[in-house]
Amino acid sequence: MKTLLKTFGASLVAATLAGAVPAMADDYPSRPIGVAVSYGAGGATDFQARIVTMVAGNEDMLGQPMYILNKPGAGGRVGWNWFASEAEADGYMMSAYNVPHFIAQSIKGGVQYSADSFEPIANWGADPAVVVVPADSPYNTIQEMVDFAKENPGKVTLSGAGLFVGHHIAALQLQKATDAKFVYIPTKGGGAAAMKAVVAGDVTGGINNLSDAFRAAEAGNVKVLAVADLERNEEFLPDVPTLMEAGYDVDNASVNFRGLMVPKGTPQEVIDTLAEKVPAMFNHARVTKRMAAGGSPLRVMNREEVQAMWAKRQETLAELLEGL
Amino acid sequence: MTASRTQHLIASSIILVVALIVGWLSFTQQPAEAFLFPRLISVFFMVLAAWNFIRAFLALSKVGEGLSAETALAIAPGLLVTLVYVFWAAKTVGFYASSTAAFFILYTLYDPEPLSNGRAWLKRVIVTTIFMAIIYALFTLLLKVQTPRGHFL
Amino acid sequence: MEFLAYFGGVFEPVAFLLLLGGTVGGLILGATPGLSPTMAVALLIPFTFHLSPTQGLILLGAAYTSTVAGGAVSAILLKIPGAPANIATALDGNAMARKGEGARALHLSFLSSGIGGVIGVLLLIFLTPLLAQWALAFGPSHLFWLAILGVTVIGSLDSKSFVKGLLSGCIGLWLSMIGYDDIQGAQRFIFHDALTGGIHIIAALIGIFAIPQVLDMFAKGRRKVVIETVAVPVHAFSDSVREIGRSGRPLTIGTIIGSIVGLIPGIGGQIAGLVAYDQAKKFSPHKEKFGTGHPEGLIAAESANNAMVGPSLVPLLTLSIPGSPTAAVLLGGLLIHGIFPGTDLFERNPEVAWTFINSMLIGQVLMVIFGIAIAKWAAKIARAPLPIMASAVLVLALFGSYSVQQSMGDVWIMLSLGLGMYFLEKFGFSAAPVVLGLILGPIAESNFVQGSLIANAVYDDWPNVMYFMTGPLNIVLIVLVIASIGYSFLSHRASARADAAQRVAAQ
Repeated sequence: MKTLLKTFGASLVAATLAGAVPAMADDYPSRPIGVAVSYGAGGATDFQARIVTMVAGNEDMLGQPMYILNKPGAGGRVGWNWFASEAEADGYMMSAYNVPHFIAQSIKGGVQYSADSFEPIANWGADPAVVVVPADSPYNTIQEMVDFAKENPGKVTLSGAGLFVGHHIAALQLQKATDAKFVYIPTKGGGAAAMKAVVAGDVTGGINNLSDAFRAAEAGNVKVLAVADLERNEEFLPDVPTLMEAGYDVDNASVNFRGLMVPKGTPQEVIDTLAEKVPAMFNHARVTKRMAAGGSPLRVMNREEVQAMWAKRQETLAELLEGL
Repeated sequence: MTASRTQHLIASSIILVVALIVGWLSFTQQPAEAFLFPRLISVFFMVLAAWNFIRAFLALSKVGEGLSAETALAIAPGLLVTLVYVFWAAKTVGFYASSTAAFFILYTLYDPEPLSNGRAWLKRVIVTTIFMAIIYALFTLLLKVQTPRGHFL
Repeated sequence: MEFLAYFGGVFEPVAFLLLLGGTVGGLILGATPGLSPTMAVALLIPFTFHLSPTQGLILLGAAYTSTVAGGAVSAILLKIPGAPANIATALDGNAMARKGEGARALHLSFLSSGIGGVIGVLLLIFLTPLLAQWALAFGPSHLFWLAILGVTVIGSLDSKSFVKGLLSGCIGLWLSMIGYDDIQGAQRFIFHDALTGGIHIIAALIGIFAIPQVLDMFAKGRRKVVIETVAVPVHAFSDSVREIGRSGRPLTIGTIIGSIVGLIPGIGGQIAGLVAYDQAKKFSPHKEKFGTGHPEGLIAAESANNAMVGPSLVPLLTLSIPGSPTAAVLLGGLLIHGIFPGTDLFERNPEVAWTFINSMLIGQVLMVIFGIAIAKWAAKIARAPLPIMASAVLVLALFGSYSVQQSMGDVWIMLSLGLGMYFLEKFGFSAAPVVLGLILGPIAESNFVQGSLIANAVYDDWPNVMYFMTGPLNIVLIVLVIASIGYSFLSHRASARADAAQRVAAQ
């Protein structure tokens, strides 16, 4: 009996030690990897994250599945705060990032993160912001709406998915470029609620995601007036001009880039492993097929490209948000 | 059985204090726009809490059974186990180890069977094992929840 | 009648198996504490990657239907509401189970869910184009008044004291404002790091309902309370059917309220059950029995929260606007398969749309069958000895609140709220108004803020008054708010007077 207890005790101690010692980086990943999404289940970021991580468990990819963890609230601040301050930097918890959202929020302050709190891994998508108006709106071009706003300052209301997210940045840029005064109406509940406000005619118009606006336009609920990007979107909205073409100096700073990142302090070997394998995962044939079917523009960028993109956004946004 | 006037007075003054703190914070914190709604609510909160306090003061509060010494004594050991389990053990010791322990201890504490009954001990072990197996099947196997491992499991 | 032509698709072998699997799985997931229908459907999305669009939607539709009903199981047996939809179910359902009538409560709950659910789906089938416009009629000002209307229900909901009911509601409203404010992004009332993310509604529900119950079981101490239940005669299923047949009033109230509330985007099914429970109480000749294990409340609540399932999909299927979080997840499930909902969905993909709707119809029936089949055994859970029950509910509460967002903070919030609620209940406050405040606070606030921003842009003089108080729909809602406050105030006074008279008579 005594020996039995001893053996039992010894194995218990061994088990404890095994649990306490962090997993070695060379057998990473040895268990499923979590992906924290700072928006609710069903939102564009959530549903795209579910698609792009679906092949992670394949042997030729990471060999371990990824699971989604939703931490929504306050335009993403809740989730990223948690990720920056509480998530363990062992490579088993990643987060989806949305640029310009989290960079703009960190510039604005009141959060526990900045672009330096995270290490980007790879980018999977880019969704430009577009200007939409209800189908029965009197405005058929962006110029008509801007001209009306110039004559009637503060009368044109534009809905969008919260403050200091891509939609808000686009509205701010449009306002700066046109010298007109718009009233930006942030909605709770993401792009879907903002789109509902446009379709129902609660607001004059709105800024929304290209993918959602494309679908709403197809259904005959809205008209898309302009795209806040450097080029037209040839695939989904070839006839809609960019704001640049319409004569307003609005660049692509509001384009919603989505990708994966890990907290600062994650072992370099883990970052290297992920940076090598994750872009391949995003380019997997099944992922690209599903993304295309959902009308979600795919843009895969590797770690170096994302780092450059973050740095550039940091600069543009700091300038734009100055004095706000 | 209903609570005494003293008990109602204590309870209603605690709520009044909370209401006043909420009101004070709502009217002093910045930015003001974000506290517009809290101000509105806190006014109602303070008025109602004051009303409730006056009712308790005038011995008009009738509903609620209050807390008897007997109840407090009966709850105390279970509450202590619960607090240690949820606020400390679950994360430090690990979800499964602490839950198994908490389940077994609480079951033993409140089981009317005398402690000398050997069969009762066996039954408690079996019930605990079965219950934890169900929890494991549901949350870890089916839902793939990653629970904190702590020092054990 | 076009939908009849697509019934075949539901009965194809694979499709039907999925329907069965979705229903059974949905019941289990729904009954798991901490797992709301939204999360349950989100968990199933990856499975649909391997299926055809129609098959995938059959799975999701069946799961959505049965998770909502499955939530009633844990609400009745453990007093842990699986989702906000099941709060009202817990009020009377658990009291019934404690009396040993668990099987009856489960039967009634599944039958009324099934009836409400089928009517809701039929509304979706026949009235979709009409209802879509109605769903859009609610702008920020109307949603604000609706939330306020919901708050006024607090005064009469499950509470013996008017002041304490309202005060409980205020506490709930205040709790809802903790954390980041959703629109401005400012931090409010954050006393501890665990609160930065605000109070998650599911964690709060678990704490507020389950923990006071655990403490009450502790309070009964080590006494042998085996004879808590009088020997209850075996409850035959046919009796339940007859009882449902006699419960026309709560069933009608529940179904109508569930269908209407379900349609309104943003309010969704969260409050359908509670509002229906409150209305059934107001119209019932047995008001005083509510909360003590009275089947009427249970029937109204369950028929309402399943009746809401069908109509809540109307804005999604016709306008591509998800009216509830669960509908948003379903939209994701559609998009992954390249199906864009919209006005022409029924012309472009009729087989997908109709098979999906039919699967919900059949799903309701299957759900009732399975629910009834397990009721007899499941009801035994509620009669487990108190020490086992108390420990089990506590461990389930811990796992359930943790699994919502895998966050320890939620677990701590869960227990703190639960302990606070226990003491409040001891002094005549009740849980339901707190929870209602917690749910409606953010809805009222965000619509108020949006509304006043729009008002200031649209009107030059008295913007807020013009925007919030003019227009027929606003006025109707304001009248309802005033009527609701007046009613609960008067009825409380009347019952207080009756009490006083009784006391005098007794002396």
